[in-house]
Amino acid sequence: MTKLKINGKLLNLDVEDDMPLLWAIRDIAGLSGTKFGCGKGLCGACTVHIDGNAMRSCITPVSAARGKMITTIEGLSSDGRSHPLQKAWVAEQVPQCGYCQSGQIMAAAAFLKQNPRPDDDAIRASMNNLCRCGTYLRIQKAIKRAAGDVT
Amino acid sequence: MKSPLNVTMDRREFLGSAGAAGALVLGFALPRRLRAAMSAPAGGTINAFLSIAPNGKVTVQSPFVEMGEGTYTSIPMLLAEELDVEMSAIRVEQAPPEAAYRLQEGGKERYTGGSDSVRSSWEPLRKAGATARAMLIAAAEKQSGIPARELSTEPGAVVHKGSGRRFSYGDLAATAGAMPVPETVKLKDPAEFRLLGTPVPRLDAEEKSNGQAKFGIDFQMKGALTAVVRQSPQFSGEPTAIDSAEAQGMPGVVSVDKIPNGIAVIADHFWHAKKALDAVKVTFDKAPSPDFSTDGYLKKLRSRLDDAGEPAEDKGKAKQALRSAAKTTTADYSVPYLAHATMEPMNCAALVQGGKCTVWAPNQTVDSVVEAATTVTGLPKDAIEVHTPYLGGGFGRRFIMDYVTQAVTLAAKHPGKPIKVEWTREEDMQHDFYRPMTAARYRGGIDNKGNPVAVHITTVGDGPLRRFFSDPKHPMKIDDSVVEGSIKQPYSIPNWRCDYVFEYSPAPIGFWRSVGNSQNAFFKESFMDELAHLAERDPVEFRRTLLGKEPRFGKVLDTVAEMAGWRGKPWNAGDGRKHAMGVALHRSFGSIVGEVAEVSLDESGLPQVHRVWAAVDCGFAVNPLILTMQIESAIAYGLSAALHEQVTMKDGHTVKNNFDDYPVLTAQEMPDVQVKIVNSGADLGGIGEVGTPPIAPAVCNALFTLTGKRIRSLPLDQHQFT
Repeated sequence: MTKLKINGKLLNLDVEDDMPLLWAIRDIAGLSGTKFGCGKGLCGACTVHIDGNAMRSCITPVSAARGKMITTIEGLSSDGRSHPLQKAWVAEQVPQCGYCQSGQIMAAAAFLKQNPRPDDDAIRASMNNLCRCGTYLRIQKAIKRAAGDVT
Repeated sequence: MKSPLNVTMDRREFLGSAGAAGALVLGFALPRRLRAAMSAPAGGTINAFLSIAPNGKVTVQSPFVEMGEGTYTSIPMLLAEELDVEMSAIRVEQAPPEAAYRLQEGGKERYTGGSDSVRSSWEPLRKAGATARAMLIAAAEKQSGIPARELSTEPGAVVHKGSGRRFSYGDLAATAGAMPVPETVKLKDPAEFRLLGTPVPRLDAEEKSNGQAKFGIDFQMKGALTAVVRQSPQFSGEPTAIDSAEAQGMPGVVSVDKIPNGIAVIADHFWHAKKALDAVKVTFDKAPSPDFSTDGYLKKLRSRLDDAGEPAEDKGKAKQALRSAAKTTTADYSVPYLAHATMEPMNCAALVQGGKCTVWAPNQTVDSVVEAATTVTGLPKDAIEVHTPYLGGGFGRRFIMDYVTQAVTLAAKHPGKPIKVEWTREEDMQHDFYRPMTAARYRGGIDNKGNPVAVHITTVGDGPLRRFFSDPKHPMKIDDSVVEGSIKQPYSIPNWRCDYVFEYSPAPIGFWRSVGNSQNAFFKESFMDELAHLAERDPVEFRRTLLGKEPRFGKVLDTVAEMAGWRGKPWNAGDGRKHAMGVALHRSFGSIVGEVAEVSLDESGLPQVHRVWAAVDCGFAVNPLILTMQIESAIAYGLSAALHEQVTMKDGHTVKNNFDDYPVLTAQEMPDVQVKIVNSGADLGGIGEVGTPPIAPAVCNALFTLTGKRIRSLPLDQHQFT
């Protein structure tokens, strides 16, 4: 059994050291907002924050997350849905199928923390998650909108 | 556009019966099981498509799945407009697999694909809303004594302007459900539309932004097990020797089982199942085409480009006209197999228990899920219950029931245990039902005034229509999924012939976004440019003079050329590079789309697409916001394929694995997209796929203007420009 701190709660989970954190989050902690897309850290659908840094949880073993603060999409805001990025995502009508969007938002949230007043080029350069529905233009607009709201 | 349903309702079909308190049932001959399945909380079921709870919440039964294309918003819009409710009062459920919800192919079929959801819902959903509104008014009359002719509605309520009295739909629903169903209803005049034609925001945007939206892969149930599968890498091979001794002893492992063409490890969760699967030693054999390769298949296709084949279209006398043309040109094109690569890999959960089978399947056709489940279990249809969640992408992949069959097979072997099959990305990449590799020879001739006089096409390949729908006793002569988009062209070229040569694909094939249009628009619109070049004419002007008899096409072409500020020659742009534009015009799924792409070569000599303009005529834009999103989406999907995608195969199997060796469009590669809607008032056309066909030719035509290099095979990654 391993203690992992997820979204501010200390959970005692039946996981192994070499298990990718993604599966500890989804299958053991039961938090399904973080998604599986590729298993090789290529698509970003599994992005979570570990001590505030965006990490791809499908290639992060549980052992690397022990003792750290793990934040998933469910814990991004206190009520689960009112982070400026989440509001911007709705205002700009970003999601289509929606499957990649948790990862997109988590990546964007970490980026804005580092770079609260980014220009368009910086936003575009920061977007390294894949989207098969092609929502990239709206993601960019939403990050820009949220950057205006994040203090 | 024909309505598949008889719009006057047969009274004999309707049952009025008192069900649970406040839940009176009326509608399209609802069987008892369906009534039970419609879960309006203590609410009034008014007809098969809607029920209204006492608090006024309207539950819409949608026949179409939500895979990003927006049906969870656009379908309820049709109903909400006529019913007269706010979109905020709507919640959507997936309709059960019952006859009332088969709105396609004359009321026989139900599938989400072919860009057909809004088109096939247009009349029936509006009628359902209007009928319910009439019954609510009748209920208000009954309850209040006020004559119906003095009653009208505002969103969510029947009102009496004279007295100011107001009767909420929630209060009326139970009574309304018992009222006689009117034989005919009047639908709104489009001039009165409040919602239709406006950019109504998506109903699913919020839950897709906070991690709450549930996809098939998110299935959870107490006691559920997870199965990870490995199918024969060589297509259609079988496992002939399985050594699972090590795997069986690994943590969490419950079982190692055979599935069609493969094996599955069932464990307590994905990671345990995957680790154990990696420890299973399997020998696969008996693949029917163990030597199949894409190199070999392409050679085969190209070797048949002069075969006679079957005429898919034969207008005029193309061969003869070519012989006497002033100038001719011949071009051979080809495109590779393409993967769907939905962001959510294939998955399905199933439970077989007590003579019943429940399936949780992301799918594009629920009736096929039922059929797959009955085939595996032998249970009757009404013992099958299907739950369809949000799909993390469909693009045509989730028509095929292979992953459903796996889940039900395993569930039947382990009754009482819910089993979720979850594919790895590698499994998904290697066991897709690909867009077929196809080759075509285009021969064209112009007269001495530079007008095209003849086009003769030979297209060689295989298609999903023949693969899945052909009767083996009477195989189809012409496979529309191979030739669509290369026949019935609007251009006034007097001689146009298209011959179809069938060459079987040993690799599995399926429906990929826009199907045959995905390759034929590339071939045909590239060739139109080649003819324009042969005639030394501007590509837009060349096409324009051929559309005199097709004003809708002419308008779309004019619109997109104007949007782009069309330039037929390269220019020096502000970024220090030469830029050029390319155009493509194509009709698919009833809609006409023109696209212009602006390209340059980056510092590494690689093509970069800066901007794309798209003009879209789909008759009437039901939701212009969703339309714009879908055009952006389809352009991204087609551009990804044009730039990067090819599924290569060797020794009978796919040699691609994941997004490292099968790159897809990144955010940095996404061009700016401008969309303009041309509301022609013509019959409704579809939207989901129609933005895809023109992008590859628009980009390649631009690259020709820019560099002088003609691209006749995709993806662009395989070509050098410097």
